[in-house]
Amino acid sequence: MTTGSPTDSPAGTPAGGPVPPADVPGRAPAVPVLAVTGLDVHHGRRRRRRPVLHGVSLTVAPGETLGLIGETGSGKTTLARAVLGLVRPSAGSITLAGEEVSTHGARQWRALRRRGIVQYVFQDPLRSLDPDLTVERSLAEPLLVGGVPRAEAATRIRAVLARVRLEEDLLGRVPGELSGGQRQRAAVARALVTEPRLVILDEPVSALDSAHRVQILRILKELRAAGVALLFISHDLGSVAGSADRIAVLHRGELVESGTARDVITRPRHPYTRLLVGSAPTLRGAPADRAARDALRALLPA
Amino acid sequence: MVRRVLALTSGRIAVAVLAVIALLAVLGPALAPQDPLATGDSPLAGFSAGHWLGTDHLGRDVFSRLLDGSRVSVLGSLEVALTALVVGVVPGILSVYLGRAFEWITLRVVDTLVALPFLLFAVAVIALLGNGITQAMLVTGVLVSPLFYRVSRAATLVVARSPYVEAALVSGASVGWIVRHHVWAKVLPPIAVALAQTIGTGFVIVSSLTFLGIGVQPPEPTWGGLLASDLGYLDQRPWAPLLPALLITVTVWACNLLADAIRDVSGEAGRALADERRAGRRRSEPTPAGGTR
Repeated sequence: MTTGSPTDSPAGTPAGGPVPPADVPGRAPAVPVLAVTGLDVHHGRRRRRRPVLHGVSLTVAPGETLGLIGETGSGKTTLARAVLGLVRPSAGSITLAGEEVSTHGARQWRALRRRGIVQYVFQDPLRSLDPDLTVERSLAEPLLVGGVPRAEAATRIRAVLARVRLEEDLLGRVPGELSGGQRQRAAVARALVTEPRLVILDEPVSALDSAHRVQILRILKELRAAGVALLFISHDLGSVAGSADRIAVLHRGELVESGTARDVITRPRHPYTRLLVGSAPTLRGAPADRAARDALRALLPA
Repeated sequence: MVRRVLALTSGRIAVAVLAVIALLAVLGPALAPQDPLATGDSPLAGFSAGHWLGTDHLGRDVFSRLLDGSRVSVLGSLEVALTALVVGVVPGILSVYLGRAFEWITLRVVDTLVALPFLLFAVAVIALLGNGITQAMLVTGVLVSPLFYRVSRAATLVVARSPYVEAALVSGASVGWIVRHHVWAKVLPPIAVALAQTIGTGFVIVSSLTFLGIGVQPPEPTWGGLLASDLGYLDQRPWAPLLPALLITVTVWACNLLADAIRDVSGEAGRALADERRAGRRRSEPTPAGGTR
C-alpha cells in the first residue's frame, strides 16, 4: 500500500508520458493497477460537444484505496465509466494492470473484462441487479461469462457470500425481496466474485442508512487488508475519509488536489477542497460558518 | 407468466374462450354434422333437429358451415400475427445493438410500412397473385409488423440503458448473452400483449376480406362469408347474421382480454404483484431465527 503518491496531478500540471508507478522504498516499483494520464472526456457530438473531464491524471497502486471526491456533476462517474471502457476518452491514456486500454476496440475490451481484473459497484444496487434474476444468477454471471464451470461458480459464490456477510438462503431471492443493505452487499459480492485486482465503487454507501453504511465500510476495509485496490467514488468526504489511503478531489472535470487522506483533510490547499472539508458535518458542532464558506465559494472559478 | 395470467379471472375467461375457438379450428370440420358444401331442398329454414342453426339461401347447413369456416379464420389470423412477430421483433431488438446504419434503415422501412393501408394492399396482392388467403395474410403480417418492431425496440432500449446490462457488459458479456439473459425476459411480455392484440386484428382482417369475398373461393365457408350471405336475407332470417358476427366479436374480445391480462401481470406492476404474493406466502411460513435484514 502506498500513501502520498505524487502521481495524481492536478489539472494544469504537465502530464507528459506515462505516469510512474507508486514506489515502495527498498522494492522494485509496483505496476499500478490503474494509471490514468491526461484524460479528456467529452459528451455530445458536434455543436453539443462539451468537456466533462479535462487533463485528469491519477494512479491506484495494488492494494491501495484512492478516494475520489467531488460534487454531483464533477465527472466522478464519467471517470469510472471511462476506466471501464463504457465511455470513450477524447484524449489521454488509461492503463489497467499494465495494459493500455484507451485505444481498445469492443473485442479487446470484452477479452479484458472476462479476465475479471476490474469490477464496478454501481451507484444504485437495486437497478444494477437484474430484477428478474435471483441473487445466485446475478452473482454467477461474471464467472459464467468468463468461462468458469457452473459447479466452480457455485462454490466461489458461496465463498464470497461469507466475505460480505450474506446468508446462503438469500441466493434464491430476487433483488426486490432484499433490503437496501442486502442489495448493496449482493452488488459488492458480484464485484468480488471474480477476485478482481481493482474494484471501482461508485457512491457505495450514499443510499444506505448509517448501520448499513458502517457494515459496507467495514467490508471495504477488509478488502483493502486483503490486497484489493479500491477506487472509492463519493460526494461525501466523511465516508471516504476513514477508508482511503489517498484522496483526489475532482472539481468541474479537473483534478484540483490530491494527497494522503490526512493531508487533504487537515491541510486542504485548494479553495474547493477547503469548502468540502468545511462543509462536512461533524457530531461535535456545526460545520465551518456560513461566511467562511461563502468566502471560499467566491474563490472558486465560475 | 402463464400461471400469473391464469390467476386473473379475465385471463382465465380469455384463455377458455380462445381454447374453444382453437378446438373449433382443429376439430370443427370433423365435427360438422353435415357436408357444409352440400345444398339442400329447404333453403332459409329455421332451427330444427336436422339443421340446428337452420339453412342458408342454398339450403346448406349453417351449423356445419360455421364449424368448417372456423379453420380459415383462425389460421389466417395466426398467419398474420406470426408473420408480424417474426418480421418485426428480430430487427426491433437488433436495431438497438447493430449500430446507427441498421437502426436508421429499419426505422425508415417501418415508417414506410406504416404508411401503407394493409387492407387495400392485401386486395392488391390477391389481384396480382390470384385469390388465396395465405399470400394475403403474409403481406398483411408484414404490414402489421411495425407494431412488433416498435414494441420490441422500445422494451430493448429501456433494458439496454439499465445499469444491470452495463454490469453485464463490465463482466465481459457479449450482445448475444445480454439478449438471452436480460433483454428477452423483459421484451417478452410486451410482445405477448402485441401478439394477442394482433391475433384479434388478424381475425378482423380475415373476416373483412372474406366478407368482401376476397381470399377464399366460394362456396368455401368462412365466418366473414357467412355474415355477408346472411345479410342478403334479413327479411326471412333476421337473426342469422348474429351467429357469425357473435363468433368474430367474441374471439376478438377474448384476444383483447388476454392482451390486457398479460399487461396486468407483466412489467413493474406485475412484478410488484408477484412480490407481494411471495411476501404474503413467506409471512405465512414460520421464519427461521437469526435472519439479518
